[in-house]
Amino acid sequence: MNSTLSGFELQYSVEQFYYREARLLDGREYKSWLTLIHPDISYSMPGRTNPLVDNRERGNESMISVERELEGIDSDGLPFRDENYAILWVRVDRSYKMNSWAENPPARTRRIIGNVEIIEDAGDRLSTLSNFHLFYARPGLKDYFYAGQRHDTLIRIEDSYQILKREIVMDVANVNVPTLGLFL
Amino acid sequence: MTLNIRELVNEDASLISRRAWSDRAVYELEKQAIFARTWLFLGHESQIRNAGDFVQAYMCETPIILARGEDMAIHASVNSCSHRGLPVCRNDHGNTKRFVCPYHNWAYKVDGELASIPQERQVKCKPDKSTLGLKKVPRVESWRGLIFGSFNEHIEPLETFLGDMTFYLGAWLDRFPGGVEFVGSPHRWVIDTNWKLPVENQLGDVYHGPYLHASIIAADSEAGMEIDNYAYNAIPTPGHGASFRLMPSDTPVDKLAWGFESVVGQLGSDELKDYLRSVQEQAEAQVGAVRARMKGLAYGVYPNLSFLWSNAGFKVSHPRGPNKVEYWSWSVVPADAPEHLKRQLRNNHASFFGPGGILEQEDAEAWMQQNIGANIDFADDRKFYYGLGLGEETTHPELPGEITTGANEYYARAFFSRWRDELLAALEQA
Repeated sequence: MNSTLSGFELQYSVEQFYYREARLLDGREYKSWLTLIHPDISYSMPGRTNPLVDNRERGNESMISVERELEGIDSDGLPFRDENYAILWVRVDRSYKMNSWAENPPARTRRIIGNVEIIEDAGDRLSTLSNFHLFYARPGLKDYFYAGQRHDTLIRIEDSYQILKREIVMDVANVNVPTLGLFL
Repeated sequence: MTLNIRELVNEDASLISRRAWSDRAVYELEKQAIFARTWLFLGHESQIRNAGDFVQAYMCETPIILARGEDMAIHASVNSCSHRGLPVCRNDHGNTKRFVCPYHNWAYKVDGELASIPQERQVKCKPDKSTLGLKKVPRVESWRGLIFGSFNEHIEPLETFLGDMTFYLGAWLDRFPGGVEFVGSPHRWVIDTNWKLPVENQLGDVYHGPYLHASIIAADSEAGMEIDNYAYNAIPTPGHGASFRLMPSDTPVDKLAWGFESVVGQLGSDELKDYLRSVQEQAEAQVGAVRARMKGLAYGVYPNLSFLWSNAGFKVSHPRGPNKVEYWSWSVVPADAPEHLKRQLRNNHASFFGPGGILEQEDAEAWMQQNIGANIDFADDRKFYYGLGLGEETTHPELPGEITTGANEYYARAFFSRWRDELLAALEQA
């Protein structure tokens, strides 16, 4: 990709990448989605907990920061997910089997991606934030709503991107959805 | 409507009524007959190592604070203020000297004793604080770091309650000279199903594996073949159960070692593989020749604790009404494993089970769909069939308890016989 893109063009190219990704996932084109994933992917979803507030932090924003609620892959806690390319491949492969019962018949999903921010432009790599709302209607069950934030590292590949790292922060207290095993 | 318990579970427990899974009156009786009387799992000692450490727990729907007191003893208290009943602990875990109720700031020590009432100096008649602590769980005991509590002051000792289940639990827990530790906070997954179904699934339901999970574990896979050839269910006491493969004595270490069958074990670093091998090589010295050949599947401890050996997870099915559970799961790792290997091993559970797991999403789907079947009208005359292998339970010279093949549903008949008898006993006493 031309690394002399203007800020507007760069923002536009990243947003278009995420819209395309959302369209592939809502269209259940998971094999096509996997081409957007770098072979060295780190794909994770931190656990989320309610730790005791430190009294000495009173008055500071850090007192109630989101980060202190997360049990991510670099913590000693328990992430919801910590996956590499092989595990994502198994998930994709499973989706096209007759006996992937949680997705047979498949859920109807619709993702809205927004609040796309490029946090850091390090040449061949971009650090981004994006938010998602996901509507999820599984036949035979209720409808569900998912919300969260993705913190990605994108790597430039020719005229597009691949996802090298994705951390998904789910806006959950208890997990009130039937699975967190979706591609988010 | 009066309850006819014998209508819910027949004499040999081969037929179970849909109402056992869905009726509000049955559920309320379960609370009094089972959850108020038996031992319930609260947590693991590794979660509360230091004075002032606490975690939250539940005994059925009752919130519990599990804490290490200043005296280093383990205390379990009901998380409800003696003044207006609010939960005084509002965090999942931490270290503190006081729990302070938000409403009027009554403050409690971590052991549950009432320390102060701010309004006390405004009144002449002083309350007796020594009688106003949080309600204590009267019995708290541990086995191998696993902490249980009971509201029944007169209950038998925990080790008696577990009985020969300790043989089977020890087959895994005792492999690690330093014991095990629970990793982080439990995943709390709310599922529209009755609490007994996740329990039954882990208690001995080996043979849903190659079918419900055929997308991942095919019947003709190595794990599937091992289950066909070597799987046993052991029922040391009705209600408890252990399912496992008892492998031949000439099985190579790499086919036997815990963790190797997981993706984490298979794709893990050479260092991780060396570690898994070293655990297995010490197993005979740690747990003896028979238990060293055991390659576990899943366990249940009555009424609602499960242990998934194959993926190193402990789970509790917390009831939330007849049609809902809050299913808690922890990853469990050997305490003396190197820290960076613990981070690889914790994935053995979370990638496959719990709310993000590849495998357990299929279980949750089955459990939610069973709950639909348990609530339908016009089919009360068609009870659920639990008769597979009826009367075929036997014994084994090397294994305590009653023993069956993997497909035999005796594990569930034993659970429901105990369940029925405890409900009947509670009704008779009422």
